[in-house]
Amino acid sequence: MTAQTARPAADDIAAPQDAPAIEPRSQRPWWRLIVLLFGALVFLFPFYYMIIGSLQKKQNTSLGGALPQPGNVTLHNYSQINAALDLGRALINSGIFTGGVLFGTAVFGVLAGYALAQLRFRGRSLLFAVMLLVLTVPFQLLIIPLYVLIVRNYGLGDSYLGMIAPYAINSTAVFVFRQYFLQLPKELFDAARIDGASELRVLTSIALPLVRPALLTAMLLTFIGPWNEFLWPFLITKQQSLQPLAVALANYISTVSGVATNPYGAILAGACVLAIPAVALFIAFQRHFVSVNIGSGVKG
Amino acid sequence: MSSLASPGTATSRGDTRGSGMKRFARAVLGRQPIGLIFGAPYAVFIAVLFAYPLGLAIWISFHRYFFAAPGVSVPRPFVGLANYQAVLSDPAVRQALLNVLIFLVINVPLTVGLSLLLATALNAAIPFRTFFRTSFYVPYVTASVATVGVWLFMFSGGGLVSNALGPLAPVPSWLINQKWAMPSVAIYVTWKGLGFYILLYLAALQNVPKELYEAASIDGASRWHKLKSVTVPGVRQVTTLVTLLAIITGANLFTEPYLLTGGGGPNGKSTSPVLLIYQTGIEQNHPDFAAALGVILVIGVLLIAGAQHLLDRGQS
Amino acid sequence: MKPQITLAAAAVALTFGAAACGGAGGVSATSAASATGPISIWYSNNAQEVTWGEQMVASWNSSHPTQKVTGQQIPAGQSSEEVIGAAITAGSEPCLIYNTSPASVPTFENQGGLVPLNDFPGGASYIQTRTGPSASVYKSPNGNYYSLPWKSNPVMIFYNKKIFAKAGISTTHPPLGSYSQFLATAKKVVSSGAAKYAIYPAPTSEFFQSWYDFYPLYAAESGGKQLVVNKKATFDSAAGLAVAAFWQQMYAQNLAGKGAYTGDPFASGIAAMAIVGPWAIATYKGKVNWGEVPVPTTKGSSGDKVPTFSDAKNIAMYASCKNRATAWAFMKYSTSTRQDGKLLDMTGQMPMRQGIQQLYAPYFTANPSYKQFAAEASHVIEVPNVANSIEVWQTFRDDWSKSVIFGQESPGKALAAAAAKVNQLVASNSSQ
Repeated sequence: MTAQTARPAADDIAAPQDAPAIEPRSQRPWWRLIVLLFGALVFLFPFYYMIIGSLQKKQNTSLGGALPQPGNVTLHNYSQINAALDLGRALINSGIFTGGVLFGTAVFGVLAGYALAQLRFRGRSLLFAVMLLVLTVPFQLLIIPLYVLIVRNYGLGDSYLGMIAPYAINSTAVFVFRQYFLQLPKELFDAARIDGASELRVLTSIALPLVRPALLTAMLLTFIGPWNEFLWPFLITKQQSLQPLAVALANYISTVSGVATNPYGAILAGACVLAIPAVALFIAFQRHFVSVNIGSGVKG
Repeated sequence: MSSLASPGTATSRGDTRGSGMKRFARAVLGRQPIGLIFGAPYAVFIAVLFAYPLGLAIWISFHRYFFAAPGVSVPRPFVGLANYQAVLSDPAVRQALLNVLIFLVINVPLTVGLSLLLATALNAAIPFRTFFRTSFYVPYVTASVATVGVWLFMFSGGGLVSNALGPLAPVPSWLINQKWAMPSVAIYVTWKGLGFYILLYLAALQNVPKELYEAASIDGASRWHKLKSVTVPGVRQVTTLVTLLAIITGANLFTEPYLLTGGGGPNGKSTSPVLLIYQTGIEQNHPDFAAALGVILVIGVLLIAGAQHLLDRGQS
Repeated sequence: MKPQITLAAAAVALTFGAAACGGAGGVSATSAASATGPISIWYSNNAQEVTWGEQMVASWNSSHPTQKVTGQQIPAGQSSEEVIGAAITAGSEPCLIYNTSPASVPTFENQGGLVPLNDFPGGASYIQTRTGPSASVYKSPNGNYYSLPWKSNPVMIFYNKKIFAKAGISTTHPPLGSYSQFLATAKKVVSSGAAKYAIYPAPTSEFFQSWYDFYPLYAAESGGKQLVVNKKATFDSAAGLAVAAFWQQMYAQNLAGKGAYTGDPFASGIAAMAIVGPWAIATYKGKVNWGEVPVPTTKGSSGDKVPTFSDAKNIAMYASCKNRATAWAFMKYSTSTRQDGKLLDMTGQMPMRQGIQQLYAPYFTANPSYKQFAAEASHVIEVPNVANSIEVWQTFRDDWSKSVIFGQESPGKALAAAAAKVNQLVASNSSQ
């Protein structure tokens, strides 16, 4: 529900029949390569350093320390952070939290997105307008009443349901689903309806398969939100056994008082464990990002 | 926020099927009332978990309110605009708003400029294209908590960056330096979010017709000139979107100041308004103050969004 | 079209929110007061305290099978106040919390989260018998005890003997009694390169940090005055100014660090001294060969009668407790002579009991370094039990940071401004 969760993303791999509006290769590409190389270096260096730092036995922040030094390598930091945080438990909590959100968004978000795109019903514009409002209002304004509501009125403090609730249906994903469904030709649906198919049938058999790649994109972006989310689970779970990894690691960063022999090493080890699944998933699925001319749907 | 093009509105042509009852239902509920059922879970979700808390937050901002134990009844008198006055006259709030301004001044131009530049560079059939694209996106998909850890490590007193800069490094070091705390946060957020904006620009660049570039080439335009007169106007709408998103992100910063500068930074120089909301609302049990601040923040963002919208419409 | 819709949406939101949420009912006090049964407790996450807590719970449980106690560490957060406050709001806090700071008692009391201990037969007299006359500072303005004074950690100056030796300073009688001596010693330590900083109290802006730089010295300098007495701030005085001027010197000459430090600077040898209580001794074991002296004053005094801050933690019973009779019995059990002795033994922290030096003489014979702390324990001052106490300390800290640490304002002006604000906060009847 945070504004920082995924926004509609698009990729630039065009469908084969479109000639992409890219500049022709004859334009000596060297300047691009330099810019891109420099950029990639700046972007990737912290990750490289994260891994190096997590493997350091003794904290070494000199320039030379940025290179792996065989004498200073250990896995001890990982075991230290595991002792402090129980990484396995925290990862499972993150998984349950994210899984719950993915489920809610996949089922109810798709239904809502489809309804907003292709079905005409009373209250459609109102629902759409409220959805836009949700995207605009910062989540932090709502945390206080939400906290009272969920913890006291519903008694869901320190529970997975309480964690998942405000994120259950990702409004950005609904927005994205709507955009993708909008681009399908209306005649397709009219034809199916005339044939007597129920709307649910239309959705599942016709619309969904056509936007499946885009669906994957939206789900991937929905994954990033709860996996990395910090504030809400931090508020709602006070028992360590329920805290997702992002919260557990953040607590460790802010309250560690040098008990570990290499506090930064332990922090970085935890950071690596937190970062790797998201990055790995992204890299594995990134070729499924489809070019959808999202730009056309977002005109002023 | 830009509104969206609605799908084609083909009206039903003289559909005389069905009884008067059915026609009535159709008129009241729409052509596909099952849409109500499809949309119902989402609508309920929004009503319960968004609309109600929003209303409650607004209500709290007009009353004297603090959290009490369950079953304990405390007076919650209506106090009009007292909370808003308190918020606007609080020096910590002013500092936080100033910090947001500093952040935006650094983050927004950097974001727009760098993402457009990198997207343009990517927008060609160059070798290792996938690798580059992936590398820019990696910080975006990583948890802020994780990347904060490595930034704390790099920018701490004896960290890599200070060592690399040697005598040029600021003393005290970046994150505990009053002048550098907020800019450090701004640079971090820029680095982290750039990947997303690059992709937005990439998609937009696809839509800039090739012919325009060719025409410019024929006219003898240099690469820089082409960038200025073809690319930049061509992606104007996405620039608007990127600017707006960057502003919204900047106004809602919480995790980064909280973790990078230990909640508030040296002398409050990297406090963000949302951090204040958290501190006053949850830590100090003044949710009335926090709610007022939150409402002010939302109004500010809506105003900026509205201004952007008007600007955009005026130009198109 | 769009603005109207957004307006409609807002209207919808408002109607929904119009009803203030009614909370679920709380625990009925009368029936709970005599109820017995299982209870849950929280203790701090200090490793030694956890060990003590576990053995105490285990020994109670073995003799009270129908009134089992479940203990766990307090959940992590920026501060325990935040965690407990949130739990009170949710109604999810345990019966007893062995980490209740006296500064937060007024806040929790206002929230309706605490059970007055006077309600129990012999409650007040138990507290007064155990702790003695100094227990009266823990009474709330309405005369009730809302917490049981449990243990204190008299704050003193620790110094690193190795670093002092390297700098050529006496390790048995280091000149740290008066401000001028302290400053000179600090300068010597830093300029000789023996350590990067002379002393490194946390310079961050949490409300409780002043308890570890300003307040102990103020207690000593003012002869044992609290921050607020009779609803008036006392620190806008010669004593307060002297303390502020001292610390300002330390920061201005870079003898104390101005930026947050991850870890413990004394334990890692970055700072030559630390200003802390005996709980920290366990963290220094094996890392630092330390000695301790009382905090300095302008004139300088020796001996262990120098007032200081207590850094006390109390036990409180919370409103969600259903089996209060058990909770009260357990409270008494955990503060019995025997358990107090175990606490001293296992954690080195001073139980707030009269005459510990005589009662536990064998312990102090075996651990002579703790003797000074025990002697100091009878000369400690507490945070004032006033309305809005947390906000009072936060206001003080903000002005302190600005003037003393960052040198952007004169301490005189800052203290005066803070005193004015504090007087306002303390006088307001309404909670918060």
